[in-house]
Amino acid sequence: MTFLGMPLLPSKRRDSDPIPGGQGNIFEDESFAEVSHQHLSNQQLRNNIGHATSTIRDKRSEVVAELDDWEALREAGSRTKNHVMENLPEYLAEFEANFTDQGGIIHWARDADEANAIVTELVEANAPILDSGRREVIKVKSMATEEIGLNEHLETQGVDAFETDLAELIVQLGDDKPSHILVPAIHRNRNEIRDIFEEKMPDAGELTNDPVDLAEAARRHLRHKFLTTKVAVSGANFGIADTGSLGVVESEGNGRMCLTLPETLITVMGIEKLLPSFDDLEVFLQLLPRSSTGERMNPYTSFWTGVTEGDGPQNVHLVILDNGRTRALADEHGRTALNCIRCSACMNVCPVYERTGGHAYGSTYPGPIGAILSPLMTGVEAEENGSLPYASSLCGACYDVCPVKINIPEILVHLRNEDVEANHSPVSSQLDGALTGASWMMSDAKRMTAAESGIPFAHAVTGGDQINSLPGIAGAWTSSRDIPGLPEKSFRQLWAESEGESHGGSDGEEDGKSEGEGDER
Amino acid sequence: MTDTAREEILGRINQALGRRGGGEYVSSSSGTVPAGSPTGGEGHSSAAEAPHAQPGAPAAGGGTVDQSADYFRTGTHEGEELIELLVDRLEDYKANVHRVSGDPAATIAGLIESGSAIVVPRGLDDSWLQDFTGEVSVDAPGQELSVPELDAQAAVVTASAVAIAQTGTIVLDGSPECGRRAITLVPDHHVCVVRVADIVDIVPEGVARLRPSAALTFISGPSATSDIELKRVEGVHGPRTLDVVIVDT
Ligand code: SF4
Repeated sequence: MTFLGMPLLPSKRRDSDPIPGGQGNIFEDESFAEVSHQHLSNQQLRNNIGHATSTIRDKRSEVVAELDDWEALREAGSRTKNHVMENLPEYLAEFEANFTDQGGIIHWARDADEANAIVTELVEANAPILDSGRREVIKVKSMATEEIGLNEHLETQGVDAFETDLAELIVQLGDDKPSHILVPAIHRNRNEIRDIFEEKMPDAGELTNDPVDLAEAARRHLRHKFLTTKVAVSGANFGIADTGSLGVVESEGNGRMCLTLPETLITVMGIEKLLPSFDDLEVFLQLLPRSSTGERMNPYTSFWTGVTEGDGPQNVHLVILDNGRTRALADEHGRTALNCIRCSACMNVCPVYERTGGHAYGSTYPGPIGAILSPLMTGVEAEENGSLPYASSLCGACYDVCPVKINIPEILVHLRNEDVEANHSPVSSQLDGALTGASWMMSDAKRMTAAESGIPFAHAVTGGDQINSLPGIAGAWTSSRDIPGLPEKSFRQLWAESEGESHGGSDGEEDGKSEGEGDER
Repeated sequence: MTDTAREEILGRINQALGRRGGGEYVSSSSGTVPAGSPTGGEGHSSAAEAPHAQPGAPAAGGGTVDQSADYFRTGTHEGEELIELLVDRLEDYKANVHRVSGDPAATIAGLIESGSAIVVPRGLDDSWLQDFTGEVSVDAPGQELSVPELDAQAAVVTASAVAIAQTGTIVLDGSPECGRRAITLVPDHHVCVVRVADIVDIVPEGVARLRPSAALTFISGPSATSDIELKRVEGVHGPRTLDVVIVDT
């Protein structure tokens, strides 16, 4: 029997010297229930997000269905990442030795402040001061640098960081925050984007709202920067321990520009991005593109190993970042969240995310993965991060699509328990927040359906027995009374089946949900 | 400063994993080493390149990795079927595909406006350009074209290391006939020659043929974005035209 996050078990990991949590853009500053309300009222946002998630979801289903060995690939991906986490010090050392051997320089950063300081120092040493009196760097989309707030920090240090990914450029020029990790500007429509470009690109002239024209404007706007800027900052999708290679997966070619043309390349990568061997790419280069953009392969993927003589940047740095990852690793019931390869599939199937969008989660990491990763990296006590694990109906769709099989619902339940222990003992003011969430859920028939489809999961958690305690805020209520066991299926589901619209046939054995495709809502 | 950070982060990881003496880092050369490639890795000598790897050694965290992976390592397409699959997948991602048996020179010349300036890597087969009339710059160590010079080229012609049919992916590996990365990036038109012998069916077969420490670029169609209302637009920063010439010799 796997651990299923039953509430009120004593937590095993409280040691006297807790590992420090992360800093930066990984905090929810208002409780999710409250902030999600504001976003729910934004109809444009809901339409755009709904359109995006359903489109990407369909594309993903199609390309995943093309592979008969998809489940075996997921299993291999999950196993490999678990193995990396268990042996992380060794793989980091092996990576370091190989990367350094090839002329790369490694820096270690305990938290966001330290990483920002290291990057700033490198930029100051390698990027010239321009006529404007400031320095410039070009950037390729990187969640790690978004997490540490690098651009904002650099700005205060006299450095302008130019985002080069089209969506990131739209977000940056619009003075905005990303709302989706894959399509960060999905909350903007073409008219808004044209207006932003016309206002913020001095040389753009008059533009139409045709995406082809808008992409062309971005190309012209950035090309000179690509060809002349001396320092680039990137993230990394993979670090390969046995070769010391780094990899970036992208679409537009802005990644290749940043990784190839500047003299100095600074990469910021979390400790968890390692793969043991180059051979493991045979799995991850299948899992990631299909789960992410729903393509068989993304247009461009680049790998480099330290310095390649006569090819690309000759001054190559890597900042290896902790910033709360070790804290997440210390939670044995939550550490698989670090296996995440940031594909965003879980967001696109999440009924809560689909309605609130990414901004409601506060953190760089939105959606189901954000609801577990942010509190794991900071601790549930930090700001309102304890409210994030409630941003879910536990329907299990995220687990079904996750290419590395992170059991997000299980970790959500576990973190709700942590939240109760840490923040609501025995009853707390956040009852209000939870009730707000409940009324939102119940005021809409569709949402209610989404929530009820979580019942098989809950049934698996409890084994159908009488329930003596519930996670999260409901725990305070069940502490004084018992409620009957959950039915295997909700009335709505039974009704739908009797009408001949059968669901996938899963009734909650162990995982509480069926594997494979065709199960997406 | 960062040395302390290194020790502290490794110490935190050991503590997080519940290893003895958290804070003390167990050197990977002292016998506590990760297992080799969890996915087997036959056909590679990757372990030999990694000074610290001792394949088969027990994993420090107690988690040994199942060496038998049950996903597919080889595909089922062969011969003409394999080539057709590649063509189909390349076209699906908006590459232009041309098939030639024998000498590709005429086909290549037909793809580039005569009289224009092109760049090629030093190892490119000379005969491929014999029908092209225009200015050819050879990019070689010590005679690299500058970025503005590359920007002035109408096209680049290269070979390729591997092509993966199932995903429509071509891999460049920095070899003398593929060239350094910048030459296939800055010009707006890439003519890429794929030899039939270099076509494999699925991703694992492609990965197995690569030199892991090379600077690698995987290309699947011309650059593209779907960032504006999810409408796919081909051609953003990379070459906007990708011509693939498949040569059966
Ligand atoms: S948790 Fe899984 S599905 Fe979600 S982004 Fe990470 S890898 Fe993708």
